[in-house]
Amino acid sequence: MRLPRFDYLEPHTLEEALEMRSEAGEKGEVLAGGTDLLVRMKQRLKKPSFLITLKHLRELEGVKMEEGELAIGAKTSLRDVIRSPWVQRYANGLAEALSSVGAYTIQHVRGTIGGNLCQDTRCLYYNQSAFWRSGRAPCHKAGGKICYAREGSDRCRSTNQSDGATALLALDARVTLRSLRGERTIPVSDLFTMKGEAPLDIRSDEILTTIRIPIASQSAASAYERISYRSAIDFPVACAAVLIEAEDKTIRRARIAVGAMGNAPLLMIQAAELLQGKPLEDEGVRKRAARIAMDHASAFAVNNVGATVEWRVSMVEVLVRRALRRACEAARGIGEGP
Amino acid sequence: MPEYSYIGKRMPRIDSLAKVTGAAKYTADLKFPRMLVGKVLRSPLPHARILNIDASRALRLPGVKAVVTGKDTYGEKWGVFRYTQDQMFLPLDKVRYFGEEVAAVAATDEDTALEALELIKVDYEELPAVFDPMEAIAPGAPLIHDDFPQNINIHVHIEVGDVEGGFAKSYLVREDTFTAAEESYFQGEPYAVVARFDLDGNLEIWMPNAGPHMKAKPLSNALRIPLHKVHVRKIAIGGAFGGRSEISPADFICALLARKTGRPVKIVYTREENTVCTRQGHSMIATIKTGVDKTGRVLARDVTCYMDGGAYSSTGPIATSVPFLCMEQAYKMDSVRYNGYRIYTNKPIRGMIRVHGRAFACGVDTQLDMIAEELGMDPVEIRLVNAREAGEYTPTRSYVASCAMKETILKAAEKARWKEKWGKLPKWRGIGIGCNSVQTGFPMGIRGGSQAIIKFNEDGGATVISGVVDNGQGNDNMLVQIAAEELGLRPEDIQLVTADTEVTPLDPGAYSQVSTFIGGQAVRLAAQDARKKLFQIAARALEAHPDDLVARDRMIFVKGVPHKGLPIQKVIRMGLSQGISVAGEGSYWPKVDPKREWVQNPYGQMCEAFSFGTTIAEVEVDPETGKVKVLEVVAAQDVGFALNPLVLEGQFQGAVAMGGQGGMLTEYHFWDGGRVMNPTQLEYKVPLAIDMPKIHTIIVESVDPKGPYGAKEAGMSIAMSAAQAYSAAICNAIGVYLKDYPLTPEKILKAIREKEEAGEKTHQ
Amino acid sequence: MSKRIVKFRVNGEEVELAVEPHWTLLEALREELDLTGTKEGCSEGVCGSCTVLVDGAPVRACLTLALEVEGREILTVEGLGGPDGLDPLQRAFIERGAVQCGFCTSGMLMAAKGLLLENPNPSQEDIKRALAGNICRCTGYIKIIEAVEEAASLSPTPIHESR
Repeated sequence: MRLPRFDYLEPHTLEEALEMRSEAGEKGEVLAGGTDLLVRMKQRLKKPSFLITLKHLRELEGVKMEEGELAIGAKTSLRDVIRSPWVQRYANGLAEALSSVGAYTIQHVRGTIGGNLCQDTRCLYYNQSAFWRSGRAPCHKAGGKICYAREGSDRCRSTNQSDGATALLALDARVTLRSLRGERTIPVSDLFTMKGEAPLDIRSDEILTTIRIPIASQSAASAYERISYRSAIDFPVACAAVLIEAEDKTIRRARIAVGAMGNAPLLMIQAAELLQGKPLEDEGVRKRAARIAMDHASAFAVNNVGATVEWRVSMVEVLVRRALRRACEAARGIGEGP
Repeated sequence: MPEYSYIGKRMPRIDSLAKVTGAAKYTADLKFPRMLVGKVLRSPLPHARILNIDASRALRLPGVKAVVTGKDTYGEKWGVFRYTQDQMFLPLDKVRYFGEEVAAVAATDEDTALEALELIKVDYEELPAVFDPMEAIAPGAPLIHDDFPQNINIHVHIEVGDVEGGFAKSYLVREDTFTAAEESYFQGEPYAVVARFDLDGNLEIWMPNAGPHMKAKPLSNALRIPLHKVHVRKIAIGGAFGGRSEISPADFICALLARKTGRPVKIVYTREENTVCTRQGHSMIATIKTGVDKTGRVLARDVTCYMDGGAYSSTGPIATSVPFLCMEQAYKMDSVRYNGYRIYTNKPIRGMIRVHGRAFACGVDTQLDMIAEELGMDPVEIRLVNAREAGEYTPTRSYVASCAMKETILKAAEKARWKEKWGKLPKWRGIGIGCNSVQTGFPMGIRGGSQAIIKFNEDGGATVISGVVDNGQGNDNMLVQIAAEELGLRPEDIQLVTADTEVTPLDPGAYSQVSTFIGGQAVRLAAQDARKKLFQIAARALEAHPDDLVARDRMIFVKGVPHKGLPIQKVIRMGLSQGISVAGEGSYWPKVDPKREWVQNPYGQMCEAFSFGTTIAEVEVDPETGKVKVLEVVAAQDVGFALNPLVLEGQFQGAVAMGGQGGMLTEYHFWDGGRVMNPTQLEYKVPLAIDMPKIHTIIVESVDPKGPYGAKEAGMSIAMSAAQAYSAAICNAIGVYLKDYPLTPEKILKAIREKEEAGEKTHQ
Repeated sequence: MSKRIVKFRVNGEEVELAVEPHWTLLEALREELDLTGTKEGCSEGVCGSCTVLVDGAPVRACLTLALEVEGREILTVEGLGGPDGLDPLQRAFIERGAVQCGFCTSGMLMAAKGLLLENPNPSQEDIKRALAGNICRCTGYIKIIEAVEEAASLSPTPIHESR
């Protein structure tokens, strides 16, 4: 399959990149690893006039510890994030999530954490070749007025299938976006617009530079679970990430994020609140929390990623429960000390 | 058992070196001076009349050298059989599936060709379409082909014995319906064609194929050029699995563009085109009624199959018959009735595929398991009671000369430790068995045989000329092994000129599992012929009788006196100095019933040999997710004789992956009307290395009297029985008999939950 | 659209190409350098037939722009082995029967090479994971895994038995 033509812009510094980004505006796309973008371009879902490559911008790579948080350059490869001892220690759920992305030989070396976080939403009626989509009206996400996944829907119901986004939401991450106009750092939850047509609040002159993960406390633990037919290559059709902060063998704070349901990963606030103050060993409350998460997720799931909605939604309960169990066990391990 | 130098040995394949160095050329790798890029314009509608095609703007685009449409053809319909001629390669009247060819361009580069496609304007009148086979045969359904009422493409009817009487005498009768979605081949290599004409009007054409001679004849007809001017060339081929047998519209279109432009043209399919616009497997609804006696022996069986054939016939009569044939070969049954319906729908075209009819095969075996349960037998026992034996006739009257079905069952069961495990595995673990049989060849009339020629070089090397094609299964190596063995040369002394219709004689092709049995046999006979002639010459020089001579390791000598021999090279030169240029000729035509026909007369000797396979799988199901972890698989096949165990193991393992791991767990197509929603490997889940189980392969040899060294087909019986074994093991693991394939986690979990709820209800 | 010059090394040789921005590394290798050993099996990064090594790490050539590999070291299947003979991986693939139709072979070899460059003593699990992104339709993967084990000079753990 052939890529469409475009102009290739090659900044050598972040400043240059921001200038180019500002000038290109809506007609430009940032090229990091390209493993998602280039496929969409081959399918003619995206036809940017300009690609602004980040290949020279080493300053956007690296995992650093900065003032009680992990600051990860957006262009850090999945492999390097996974292998970072800090990520493994303080954000294990993220390491697990990124390890499960596709396959090592596809995304882990060229793919970046920023690219995975900013992965566009997906739908089997949309992520198809130009030919496949021809012969009928375009859908909402393709600039039209119809949804093929959910009949009668007046908005796009495409699904966020990013492993990284789900994990980062659970980890209460923040992201820094820079432009010529300045810099803003927002919670990752604010990055999602809840609009399938344009799912990310990244302005056309902005570049995501840093992903910041607070180091919750010494006895925090995170975990990630996902499910798909095969053990590699596939996007998750349901996934869950949890963060558990514990003290004296009790859950002080929990965060539960569920992905592959709806336009953005979902933060399960009610399910998480149920866990507050409960013992780490309490299996029953974890089960109840998982069931609440499943019920909430069911409102968002649409049959557009293969696998039945019924099954995917029931997997939310399984995945949340399993992630909670592992995170609680890990928190117990940490909390019990030497 | 004679001691062979190469036959029966674990020999690395001769074609591996080119493949591991990247030197092997596949069709898309070919590059010729001034070659043009061809692209096909396809219908975006599943059913529509073509009102007008305006290519004028495309033709004006700089770099575009030709555009072809139906108007550039002779307007004839092609079919594999005379009574299935329903397809124009570039239609004039209407399109019948989303993705059908409508026009094509040849341009100087790919970007220009793609741009040109967008400039071709086609006016369609959309017609109502039908996508479900049962809707397609219902009254009022849109008619897809005028000559085929009710959209019934093929009806195969077979009736043997006294079916109703058999049911009447049965101790137990069951009727169950099994369904399966369609699956696809997903060969590694996407389809591609390169074509060029020379100034004398000779066509050279390269494409992945399962029988170059089967491609040449229809090309000659469609292009109206004499057959001897159509040269389908040898090329490395990235898999076929049953999907590359007949001529493809792309072959014809590429040749047409090459002829029109006077330049070589290359068309390379995208992965999506390979999935949608070549062939797929049939989806199927199989209703199976079986009656058994108290011992579990089948007395009568009645099967009705509805198969979704897609928009055109392809190998319809064969595809409709094969699932039945595999069953009637594998199991005894005196009375059987079969009604197979292949139905047109506005979907991509379906063809023959390595796992032929999941619903049928898994249905028959699952039903045997259900019957066994009712009778208090175990699945292995009931298989043994019904297993085919040598010396019997199939219901449609094929004599089975060699058969080690029972041995495959017993050996597989022993290796899998069936007795220890059956009924004794922990909860959520299951073990299951599947048995099947595959024919070695189809009746193919004047093209049913193979001929081979062997010529020598004066330095003692030999060239084997044969029409046998290698799709990746190792046929080239098989020919070299046989020729080296029979000629007394070493494999490195043998050159192959194969699968080139300008030079090589007729061969039936690889898709009916016949390359070893017929093609290999022809080479063996040719080598024996050449050897006989060499012995005549050597006998005089050695003052011996030709019958006392042996050829081995480049020497000819009297049996038992190896040190007093002559190098073959010398014997050849001696012959030449006597005015004798030694060459060998051999041909093999199987003795099949020439009156047997798929639809008109489906009785009589179908082929000379049948392979038999048994697979046993052990699985573990995760009751929370429905996902299946396959622990261990044992695959045992009666291959007649193992020419190369190393190659056979690879075939068995690949067959387990395709038939079981993919075919039963994850592979199926799902649809949005006429659009296949998973046309690429991202969403069509072929198995990966990380999910493969442990596989034990067992080769069983019944030494067929007709096969070369006793060899028959290898690999396909395992693909089919693996699907059955996986299915049976999963059913055993969850205690529910599932009947809709593949067995995805959703279906498995649903069955587990329904069973739990039913259990709770009975306890209330 | 005007072409741009890109300089990189392929199989140890310096290369300078004039490419259009939208050309992929795969297209440049196959069409400009006639290195057709790397294959196009799906064009969307899934099947692995286009796997090459860039600075020793496996990458999908079909999803990499030619312009992106400026200054890098590319290794394709044609660069495996040397004047002295085949790479142990190539030899093992041949001897173990790990090659059937051969279309996935170059991608498998490059993914395996990438693994062994980083981890010369992989476990069977490591190998399965490293090859998880390479699809083979013919072999069922068993002999490929055995071949990689052999090339890594482990005594292969029997994952199948015959006869």
